[in-house]
Amino acid sequence: MTGFHQLMAGFSVALSWKALLYCFIGCLWGTIVGVLPGLGPLAGMTLLLPLTFGLDPTIGIIMLTGIFYGAMYGGSTTSILVRIPGEAASVVTCIDGYEMARKGRAGPALMISALGSFVGGTISILGLMFIAPPLAKVMIAIGPSVEVVLILLALGVIAVVSAGSRIKTATMIALGLLLGTIGLDNLTAAPRFTFGQAGLTGGLSFAALAIGLFGLSEILMNLERTETIKAIRPKLKELVPRWQDLKDSAPAVGRASVIGFIFGIIPGVSHVVSTFVSYAVEKRLSKHPEEFGHGAIAGVAGPETANNAVTGTAMIPLLALGIPSIPATAVLLSALTIHGVQPGPLLLTDHPEVFWGLVASMYIGNLILLILNLPLVGIFVNLLRIPYTWLVPIILIISIIGVYSVNFSATDIWIMVLSGLAGYVLRKFGYEVAPLLLALVLGDRLEENFRLALTMSGGSYATFLDHGAVIVLTSTLGLLLAVQALAWAFGYRKSFADEAESA
Amino acid sequence: MSVRSEQWSPTTAPSLRDSSLGASGLPVSSLPETSLVPLPVAAPKGTAARALALLWARLRAISLHHAVSERHGGLVVAGMLAATGAFFLWQSLFLDLGNLDLPGPGFFPLCLGLGIVLGSIVIGVEQWRSSDRESVELGHRDVLVAMAALLIVPLIFEPLGAYLTLGLFGTMLLVLIARVPLLLALAATAAGLVACWYFFQVLLGLQLPHGPFEMGPF
Repeated sequence: MTGFHQLMAGFSVALSWKALLYCFIGCLWGTIVGVLPGLGPLAGMTLLLPLTFGLDPTIGIIMLTGIFYGAMYGGSTTSILVRIPGEAASVVTCIDGYEMARKGRAGPALMISALGSFVGGTISILGLMFIAPPLAKVMIAIGPSVEVVLILLALGVIAVVSAGSRIKTATMIALGLLLGTIGLDNLTAAPRFTFGQAGLTGGLSFAALAIGLFGLSEILMNLERTETIKAIRPKLKELVPRWQDLKDSAPAVGRASVIGFIFGIIPGVSHVVSTFVSYAVEKRLSKHPEEFGHGAIAGVAGPETANNAVTGTAMIPLLALGIPSIPATAVLLSALTIHGVQPGPLLLTDHPEVFWGLVASMYIGNLILLILNLPLVGIFVNLLRIPYTWLVPIILIISIIGVYSVNFSATDIWIMVLSGLAGYVLRKFGYEVAPLLLALVLGDRLEENFRLALTMSGGSYATFLDHGAVIVLTSTLGLLLAVQALAWAFGYRKSFADEAESA
Repeated sequence: MSVRSEQWSPTTAPSLRDSSLGASGLPVSSLPETSLVPLPVAAPKGTAARALALLWARLRAISLHHAVSERHGGLVVAGMLAATGAFFLWQSLFLDLGNLDLPGPGFFPLCLGLGIVLGSIVIGVEQWRSSDRESVELGHRDVLVAMAALLIVPLIFEPLGAYLTLGLFGTMLLVLIARVPLLLALAATAAGLVACWYFFQVLLGLQLPHGPFEMGPF
C-alpha cells in the first residue's frame, strides 16, 4: 500500500461522521481554551482527556489533537483584540496585533493570523506525513541504548530551554521520573512504593496527575486574577485584508512555516520559542523595521504561522519515536497508551489507521478552524464576557467525573486534588510543572530500556557508545550537560564574588 | 485599609502589589479588616434572621489573603521536595538495588531520590542567598474556597453518590465564588448535572456511584 493509498484510507476514517464531529468538538474547545486567558492547550487537553476513554482511540486522538492546534488559532484572538495572550505561544502576537487593532485594523490582523495559521499548519502536516514513516523505519532497527540516550537528550534539552530556573526544572524532571517508578517494576514485576495499596500497583493515574498539575493548578491561579477585560470588536466586513497586507505578509508566512517546522522537533517550549525567532527574523529582514511594535502585519503573520507550524512537526517525535517533545504531545501519548496503542516505530505497521486517520483529520481540522475562526470571531470575543468564576464549577465537575471514570476509584480524585494543590504551590514559587509531566510519561521507558540495554550488553556501559548514531547522541548529551554545568558553576562563582564585593 | 464587606469581590479586593514594605523588610499585607467594618444587613435588629445574615456576611468576608516572603516560602518548598526525595531514597533501600552493571528495581528510584535531595539543597541555598524583598501572594479567598470544596469531594463522592456530591460542590462554588444567589445556583447546578448525567451515563455509558439515594434516572 503506497503512502497515497494510506492517506486516502486515513481520509475515509477522518471523514466519518463521528470523526468529523469529534474533530469539530476538539477544534471548538481548543479555540475556546485558546481565547480564554489562562487556559492553554495543555489544560484544555488534560481536562477533556477522560472524555476520550469511551471513544475509539483514533477518534479520541483526533479530538485531542484538534484541541492542541485549535488553541493555537484561538490564542491569537485575545492577543489581537484584548492584548492578553490566550496562551504562551501568542505573547509575541500582542505586540503588533493589538497595535493594528488600536488603529482600526483588527479585522486584517485576525484574517492574516488565521490564514497564516492555516498555511503553517498545513505545511507542517505535509512534513509529518513525509518524515514520520521513514524515521519510524530507521527507529525499528535501533536498540534500547539509542532510546535511552534519545530520552535523556529530550529531557536535557527541556531542562536547558525552560523559561525558569534550570535547577528547579531539573529537580521537577527527577521528581517526574521518580513518580513514574510507582507501581509494578516492568522487568521483575516487583511492587515499588505501593505501600500495600492495590490501586497503586498500576502506577499513579496519569489523567489524575495531569489534570491536577495543569488543569486544577491553572484554575486556582486564574481565580486570583482580578483584571476586567475590554475587547475591541471588529465587524465582519472589516475582516478582509488589503492587497498590500497579503503582499506584506506572504513572505513572512513562508519563512515562519519553515521556522516553526524546524523548531517543532526541538523538545521543550518549541511553540513559544518559534514565535520569538520568527518575529526577530521578520524584524531583521524587514525594509521598515521601525514599523515593528507599531502594527506591522508581518509581526502578526510570522509568529502566528510559526506556532501553528510547530503543531504538525511536534507530532513527528511522538508518532515515529514514541517520545513526546512537548507537554501537549505527552498528553496524546498518554491517551494512546490508555487505549492500548503504543506510539513509536511500530505504530505505522500495527495501527496505520490511527496515524493516517490523524494526519487526514489535521487537514480537515485546519479547514474547520479557518471557517470557525473568521466569521465567528465575535462570538469567541463574547466568551470573554462570561465571568470566569461561572466556568470554574463546570470545568471542575467534568474533571472530577472524568478522573473518577478512569479506574472508578476515589483515590484518583485524591491524586487529582493533591497534585493540583502541589502544582499550584510549585508554580507560585517558580517551578515549572510541564517537565514533570513529560518525565512522568517517559520515566517507565527510560528505566526499562536502560536496564534492558545493560542486560543485553552483559553490564557494559560501552553499549551507550558502540555505534555511530548512539555515539553522536551521547556526545551531544555530554556536551549539553558539560556546558550547562560549567555555565552554572561560573555563574554561581560570579554571584558569590559580586556578593562579597558588595558586602 | 478597609473594604466594606458587601463590596468585597476579586475585582474590588486591594492588590498586594501596592502594599508597602514593613520595617522587617517583608511586605505588609493590605487586607480588608473585615472584623472592624460594620456589616449592612437588611433584617431587623435582634432577630434570628439578622444574626444569621450577619454570620453569613462575616463568613463571606473572611480573607486570609496575604503575602509570603518568596525566600521563606521557597525554602519551605525546597525543604518539602528534599523530604520527598529523602523518603523515596529511604524506601528504595528496601528494594533490590542490584549493582551498577545490572541494576535492580530499587536502583533507579535510589538515584532519583538522591538527585532530588541534592537539587533541593542547591535550590535551598539559592533561596537562602536570595533577596527578602520579593513576595508571593497566597490565601486568596476564592482559591481557599475552591481548595476546601475540592478536599471534601473525594471524602463524600462514594458514600453520598456522585450527583449529590457534585450538586453540593457546584452550588457551593457558584454561591461562594461566583456569588450567584442560592436558588439560581441550585437551579443551574441541577441543570448542569442533568446534562452531565445524559452525556456521561447515557451517551458514554459511565456508571457513577449513586450512594444511598438511588433515585430516578440517577
